[in-house]
Amino acid sequence: MKVSYQWLREYVDLADLSPEALADKLTSAGLAVDAVEPRNKGVSGVVVGEIVAARQHPNADRLRVCMVNVGTGEPLQIVCGAPNANPGLRVPVALPGATLPGGVQIRRTTLRGVESNGMLCSAAEIGLETRLLPSAQATGLFVLPEETPIGEDIVKVLCLDDVVLDIDLTPNRSDCFSIRGLVHEVAAILRSRHSFPEHIEAPKGAGESPIAIDLATERCPRYEAQVLDGINQTSSPLWMQMRLIAMGIRTIDLVVDVTNYVMLEWGQPLHAFDADSIAQSQIVVRQAHDGEELVTLDGQKRTLTRDMIVISDPEKAIGLAGVMGGENSEITASTRRIALESARFDGSSVRRTGQRLGLRSEAQQRFEKGVDPAAISPALARATALLVELGGARPIGPSVAVHQERKAGDSWQIPFVPEQCREALGFAISNDEMEAIFHALGFGVHRQEDKWLVEVPSRRADVTLTADLYEEIARLHGYDNIPSTVTVLPVTPGMRDRRQAMLAKARVLLVNMGLFEVRTYALTSPDALAPLSSPYRPIPLLLPMSDERRVLRTHLLPSLAEVAVHNLAHQVPGGAVFEIGKSYLTSELPLRSQPQEREVIAMLWFGETEGTLYEKARRYDFYDAKGVLENLLAALGADASYVRSAIPWLHPGRSADIVAGEETIGVVGELHPETAKAFGIDRAIYAEIDVASLLATRESDMQAKALPRFPGSRRDIAIVVDRETLVGDLLRTVRERLATSGLLQGLRAFDVYVGEGVPEGRKSVAITMFFQHAEHTLTDDEIEQLVATAIDALRVNHNAQLRS
Amino acid sequence: MEALIVQLRRLQETALAELTKISATKDLTNWRVQYLGKKSELNALSKQMGGLRQEERPLFGERVNEVRNALEAAYLERQTALAAAEQALRLAQETIDITLPGRAIGRGAIHPISRVIQEIEDIFLGMGFSIVDGPEIETDHYNFELLNLPKDHPARDMQDTFYLSDELLLRTHTSPMQVRTMERMQGDVPIKVIVPGRVYRRDEDDATHSHQFTQIEGLVVGEGIRMSDLKGTLESFAKALFGPEQRVRLRPSYFPFTEPSAEVDLLCVHCHGEGCRVCKGTGWIEILGAGMVHPRVLDMSGYDSTRYSGFAFGMGPERIAMLRYGISDIRLLYQNDLRFLAQFARA
Repeated sequence: MKVSYQWLREYVDLADLSPEALADKLTSAGLAVDAVEPRNKGVSGVVVGEIVAARQHPNADRLRVCMVNVGTGEPLQIVCGAPNANPGLRVPVALPGATLPGGVQIRRTTLRGVESNGMLCSAAEIGLETRLLPSAQATGLFVLPEETPIGEDIVKVLCLDDVVLDIDLTPNRSDCFSIRGLVHEVAAILRSRHSFPEHIEAPKGAGESPIAIDLATERCPRYEAQVLDGINQTSSPLWMQMRLIAMGIRTIDLVVDVTNYVMLEWGQPLHAFDADSIAQSQIVVRQAHDGEELVTLDGQKRTLTRDMIVISDPEKAIGLAGVMGGENSEITASTRRIALESARFDGSSVRRTGQRLGLRSEAQQRFEKGVDPAAISPALARATALLVELGGARPIGPSVAVHQERKAGDSWQIPFVPEQCREALGFAISNDEMEAIFHALGFGVHRQEDKWLVEVPSRRADVTLTADLYEEIARLHGYDNIPSTVTVLPVTPGMRDRRQAMLAKARVLLVNMGLFEVRTYALTSPDALAPLSSPYRPIPLLLPMSDERRVLRTHLLPSLAEVAVHNLAHQVPGGAVFEIGKSYLTSELPLRSQPQEREVIAMLWFGETEGTLYEKARRYDFYDAKGVLENLLAALGADASYVRSAIPWLHPGRSADIVAGEETIGVVGELHPETAKAFGIDRAIYAEIDVASLLATRESDMQAKALPRFPGSRRDIAIVVDRETLVGDLLRTVRERLATSGLLQGLRAFDVYVGEGVPEGRKSVAITMFFQHAEHTLTDDEIEQLVATAIDALRVNHNAQLRS
Repeated sequence: MEALIVQLRRLQETALAELTKISATKDLTNWRVQYLGKKSELNALSKQMGGLRQEERPLFGERVNEVRNALEAAYLERQTALAAAEQALRLAQETIDITLPGRAIGRGAIHPISRVIQEIEDIFLGMGFSIVDGPEIETDHYNFELLNLPKDHPARDMQDTFYLSDELLLRTHTSPMQVRTMERMQGDVPIKVIVPGRVYRRDEDDATHSHQFTQIEGLVVGEGIRMSDLKGTLESFAKALFGPEQRVRLRPSYFPFTEPSAEVDLLCVHCHGEGCRVCKGTGWIEILGAGMVHPRVLDMSGYDSTRYSGFAFGMGPERIAMLRYGISDIRLLYQNDLRFLAQFARA
């Protein structure tokens, strides 16, 4: 909301409070002022002048040589290129020595051989917003009204000494969407008086109003109209135009400008119809019919629905209530009688209508947030008075007002206990001070011992509860005066739950193993998810902003692949990344209930390792990923095994399901070459752990065992098995066969060899075993027995031969 | 005997003189064989003791021992010196370039947003808050209506929403967890929770806007909770996060689910209140929205607003991370360029 400082000052005594100081006070009271902008963008030395003569420039087709009276006796000769530099016009004249916005300095000069003593100015040249001016004024010289005094400083004429405060109004303060509301607010903040007239006496015409009103919808609680005749279709006075422009409103003609001016002043939107276009002189406010059509003022044909409110006559719709008028009732040059409307429409309905039709007018914004029922009549009276005064209009009859049975109250009462207010806010403030604040706000106070009733006027629709009164007290007393205290509450343990603690650990573990944490977008495109052939269809947004982000991901791999692609394209040769994130899964579309949000730790290794002095750069492989997983899962207390995976988007020979107990808790594998290609990467290893599954399988707490007192013995064997035999199966055979002995304390493969000395299709696997007995030192015989048992089991189960 | 003694002396002198010239262990061994071995001159001389008179023998024997001891001592000394010299030489030869890097133990980095979230979590854990998580896909009911934002409420414009259906949406804030937490607690007090999580708004991505970002919500409900407690809590938090000289400033504001509501400013983390580019010269930076839980929200969540009160606050880890680490474009946080992330490798 842009607001003119001068307009405010007309009604409230600002003393010597500067616009900047006022802005600070407003901000401290909750009306955040985003900017304080002088209207004058750098104009000085510009005065009103009249072109008394203009002739063609002797040496330039497009220039004219004007003689301009600036009130200093001798007319000035000024060369001008504007096509409308015609004798008789009063225009802004930048005298030699003047400055214009952008630091332009005006000097006496010679243009193509003709002396020029200044410059005639266009609107843009003196810093006016041309988009807010009628098109005739937006180009060429800015034409001033005929009665503008010659020689007068343009700064004064155009109110350029005004300053505009741009207030970022919160949605609850619709009352401050007007000069009236801001006057009340500023007066309350400054605890000063104001002179805003709450009651306006409108000139009344003789006889009866020619118009009748029928309220045929509950969504219009009140509707008033005044008919005027003999309106002089002129432009509005300069001061009114300048105030409108200062507050960001286009100036158009007198009638429209007056309705907008009163809207800014009172916060009450008005609309003017051509009264002669209203059939049977009867206004019917009703719900639209489905499929009803109306051409609105912007020339668009709108198809209406039942939940929209229309202003109509018995034959046709003539306007969309609170949103936009109809072309069929527009004021034109031939209009003789106008009907002014001042009404209140249901905010939700206006909001929905505007959204549906893609409109967002100033009026609509005010109706949406709620207008003050007490402003409807005075706003209409004010507009009538202005049209009479400025446009020579004659009111026909009095205004007509119709309202629903239950008239909205002009005020309401809220119980208030001063002591409870002090307790809620936590600061000391006297009863008298509280009462003074309420009075400054224009609220009535009925003190009854320690229980008060506070009477709130209807313009403050945001204040309905006791807590709202607390806020008024707090903000006008000053939030700065609130002390800092400590909550007195029972002591509570602050700790992460199991899941949170596990994820915090996982994050640190992965980082310490060289992975970078990433955070990616949950919204993606169906194309990005396509390579995964997921059984889940992604959940789409109803109104996406772009094709790239229009569904919720069903998997994290595409997100991580995107990270890999970005990095590989930016001189990062490779890396390992992880994200703790969610995918969103549902089996029912369209969505009817909250879907599953599956949380995973997803990891991706892509490109090459960073080469070092000790190890050359190489591509990441499956075992890089598996090493990290083994370490991670061991640290998190999960006992996992790896089983060949059947996931189609992974390399069939280089992928594994991660199994803990009976449950698959994750997967690790090299991307299938086709998958990798679809993502635009060469090769990458993906792994993910399902957080909920991992949490469910975590082992119980650690238990200490006494250290053995007797030394153990290590034995290495090398066996030859078929190439496709899994080492994990060999180890499991040994472990299971020797389990009953209870003596096998360590078992691992330490070499796998294929090549010379090993038959074709076979491989050599070296296994080391560690045996230990708690009660005695094992003898060679005992150990040989165990080793022989192991070898025997390997031979039987895996066709293993001992390698000599 | 005199002659023998002279020979002894000469022997000693010769041997010691030669010893000083020795610089290799092998030569030292030879020297020892030569002068102290079985076939040494010293042994030969000592054997001539038999030719001496009875009374001369002890004296001569004593002399021989003196010479032997002297040579032994000199030998040991020389041996020690030589060993030391040889070790020094060996060590010198083993010298490596200690400026070469160590064997790399790969180290990644926690994402700056996560760093900030963890730090904030730890501060509130220390104050006895618990952490709760909630769904990102919310119902209109929880995201808006139970937070005092009925349908068509103009304040819904403050948060442009991604809808999935008429009733389901991507949560626009972590505030629905205020209601869900109160419902779960079923009227029990105190409630002291924070809610970190991802949220979504229908904003075009630019340097300061992201359609996906994170929030941390806080909620305290109990009996006799005052607005001054809100200020005190946030001040403790600000000091913990940004240093003991921090102060907070509350400014009146509006959120539909709090009343009174406040924007919370901290002293500018760059200029500490002097006024700079970061704080646009004001000395303060806006960092949080907060307020007393709206009585309607309490009542709708099963807490009698005439008996219980509470406060709530919400902040943006992205904004804090950007202030903290001097990040000027929020998109960097979601681009995941490893060159960017590697700058946050400190533990």
